[in-house]
Amino acid sequence: MPPVETSHRARAGRIALYLTLSVISLVMIVPFVWMLLTSVKTPGDIAAVPPRLFPTEWAFGNYADALRAAPFATYARNSFVIAASHTVLNVLIASMAGYALARLRFRGSSLIFLAFVGALMIPTYTKILPEFLIVRFMPLFGGNDITGQGGTGWLDTWWALIIPGAVSPFSVFLFRQFYLDLPVELEEAARLDGLSELGIYARIMTPLVKPAFITVALLTFEGSWNNFLWPLLVTKSDSLRVIQVGLSVFRTENDTQWAFLMAGTTLATVPMVVLFLIGQRYFVQGFATAGIK
Amino acid sequence: MVSTRDRVRAAAPGPSTAPPRRRGLLRARRRAGLLMVAPAVLHALIWIGIPLIAAIVLSFTSYDVLTPPRFIGLENFRDLISDNVFRRAVLNTSIYTFFTVPVAMGIALLIALMLNTRLAGRAIFRTAIFIPQVTATIAVALVWLWIYDPRSGLANAVLSFLGLDGPAWLSSTDWAMPAVIVVGIWQGIGLKMLIYLAALQSLPTDLYEAASVDGASKVRQFFSLTLPLLRPATFFVFVTSVIGAFQSFDQVYILTDGGPANSTTMMTYEIYKSAFREFRMGYACAQSLVLFALLLFLTLLNRRITGGDRATR
Repeated sequence: MPPVETSHRARAGRIALYLTLSVISLVMIVPFVWMLLTSVKTPGDIAAVPPRLFPTEWAFGNYADALRAAPFATYARNSFVIAASHTVLNVLIASMAGYALARLRFRGSSLIFLAFVGALMIPTYTKILPEFLIVRFMPLFGGNDITGQGGTGWLDTWWALIIPGAVSPFSVFLFRQFYLDLPVELEEAARLDGLSELGIYARIMTPLVKPAFITVALLTFEGSWNNFLWPLLVTKSDSLRVIQVGLSVFRTENDTQWAFLMAGTTLATVPMVVLFLIGQRYFVQGFATAGIK
Repeated sequence: MVSTRDRVRAAAPGPSTAPPRRRGLLRARRRAGLLMVAPAVLHALIWIGIPLIAAIVLSFTSYDVLTPPRFIGLENFRDLISDNVFRRAVLNTSIYTFFTVPVAMGIALLIALMLNTRLAGRAIFRTAIFIPQVTATIAVALVWLWIYDPRSGLANAVLSFLGLDGPAWLSSTDWAMPAVIVVGIWQGIGLKMLIYLAALQSLPTDLYEAASVDGASKVRQFFSLTLPLLRPATFFVFVTSVIGAFQSFDQVYILTDGGPANSTTMMTYEIYKSAFREFRMGYACAQSLVLFALLLFLTLLNRRITGGDRATR
C-alpha cells in the first residue's frame, strides 16, 4: 500500500524537521536563557563548579542591587533619548530626501542619488576618526574659539551623541525605493488641485508608504540603541553614558560581578527583543526589501 | 541631466496646460526638490564628505590631535607595510570573515529551506533564530564572555557533560579566534536566514510544478532551480556579510581586547588603538584607508565574478 508508506515517510520527515529546527532555535536562545538565569543567581551559585543551570535560590534582588551599583537606569534613559531623536530626525530628513530623489527629479538629482549610494560604501572606521575630530574642534562650542581651538567642542555633549548619526544614507536609499513604486496619477491629480509640492509629499504620498516609515523607524531605533563605538569615543561623564558603554565600563571596573552584569545586560537586550516582537512584520519587511531590491 | 522619465512626466498634464504655467510648475518642483533634499545632503557633506577627504589628507601626516598635523608624505604607508601587528590584523580579519560568512550563509540557507514549508509554528522558530540579530553586540558579547568562562561558564560545562575537557577559550591563543568566530556565526545567521526566506517565498511556483512533472527529484530541483534562482539573494547576502564581518569590532572589544598575543586583533581594532590609545591619528587614517580599499576591492571582485545582481533578472 504505497499511500500509507508515503504518509509514514512524510510524517517521519516532518518530525525530523521539527527536531532540527527546535535544536537550532534552542542554540540561538540558550545564551539569553543563561543571561536571565545568571541575573537571578546568588554569588555562591555563580561560582559553582560545575555550573548549575538553575539557581538554588532565586535572587531577584540582584536587579535592585545592580541599579544601586551603577546608574543603569540613567544609561538606559540616555540610550532611549538618543535612539528616539535619531528615529525622528532620520525618518523626517531621509524621507524628504528620498521623496525628492524619487519623484521630483531635478537637475543634479541623479548625481546626488549616486553620491548617496557611494556614501554607503564608505566604512564606518574610515569616517569615524575625522568625525571625532570635527566634533572635538567644533567652533564656538565647549570653550572653542571660532577656529575650533581652546576647548573640547561637542565632546561629552548631547550634540555629539545626536547630530552626527541623525541621517543615514541607507534610509535615504530605502525611502527612495519606497516612493518610486507609487503611481504618478495621484501626484498629478494633487498638483492639478493646486497642492504644493511639500503638501503632495506630506499629505498624499507619505500616508501611502506608512509601513515604510515604521520599518525605517524601527531599524533606526534598533541601530541607535545598539551603537557602541561612537558614544564610547565622544562621552566621558557618567551622566551621558549610554547603556552599551555603561555595561562595558561596569565590566572593566567590577570584574567578577556576573549577576549584576547580566542584570544590566538584560536591561540592554529586553527592550530590543520586545520591540522586535511587536514590530516583527515591519522588521522582516524592511530587511527583505533591503535584500531584494 | 533631465531623464526621459522626467520629460514624460513634465508633459503629462496635457495640451490644455499653457506653456508658461507648465514652466512655473517645473520651476516650483525643482525648487521643492532641492529644498527637500538639502538637509540630508548638508548632513552627508559634513559627516561623510568632509571626513572622507580629511581621512585621505591626514593619512599623509603625523598628527597627535594636540599639536597641528605635520606632512610626512608616504611614511605612514611605508610603516604600515612593516607593521607586523597590522599584518596580523589583516590576516585575522580575513580568517574571521572566511569562517563566519560562508558557514553562517550555509546554515541560514538550510534553515530558510526548512522554514519555507507549510509548518505549524514556523513564526516561533523564525523569531527565535532572528533574536540574536536585533540585540546589541556589546550585550550579547558580555553574555558569551560569561559562557566562555573556563571554570563556571556554560561552554565548558556542556563539554564536560559530553566527557570533553574544555580549553581556556579566550585566554588561549589557539581557541580565542574560534570562540570569536562562533559568536559571529551565531549572531549572523538570523539576518541571512530572513533574506533567504524572503527570496525563497518570491520564487515562481510554476517552474517547480513543471520540474515535478518532468520527474526532477527534490535534490535536483534544489541544485538546478532554487540555487540559481537565489543568486541575487546570495550575492547580496555575501557582499553585505563580508562588509559587515570586515568591520567587526564590538565582540573583540568585549571578548578579547585583541589578545591573547594579538591572536584576535582585527583591522578595526588596530585603527581604534592607533587613534585613541596611541593618538597616532595620521597612521590610523592610513590604516582605515587600507580597510576601505580592501572592501572596495572585494565588492568589485564579487560583482565581477557573479556578474552583479542583474545577471539573473
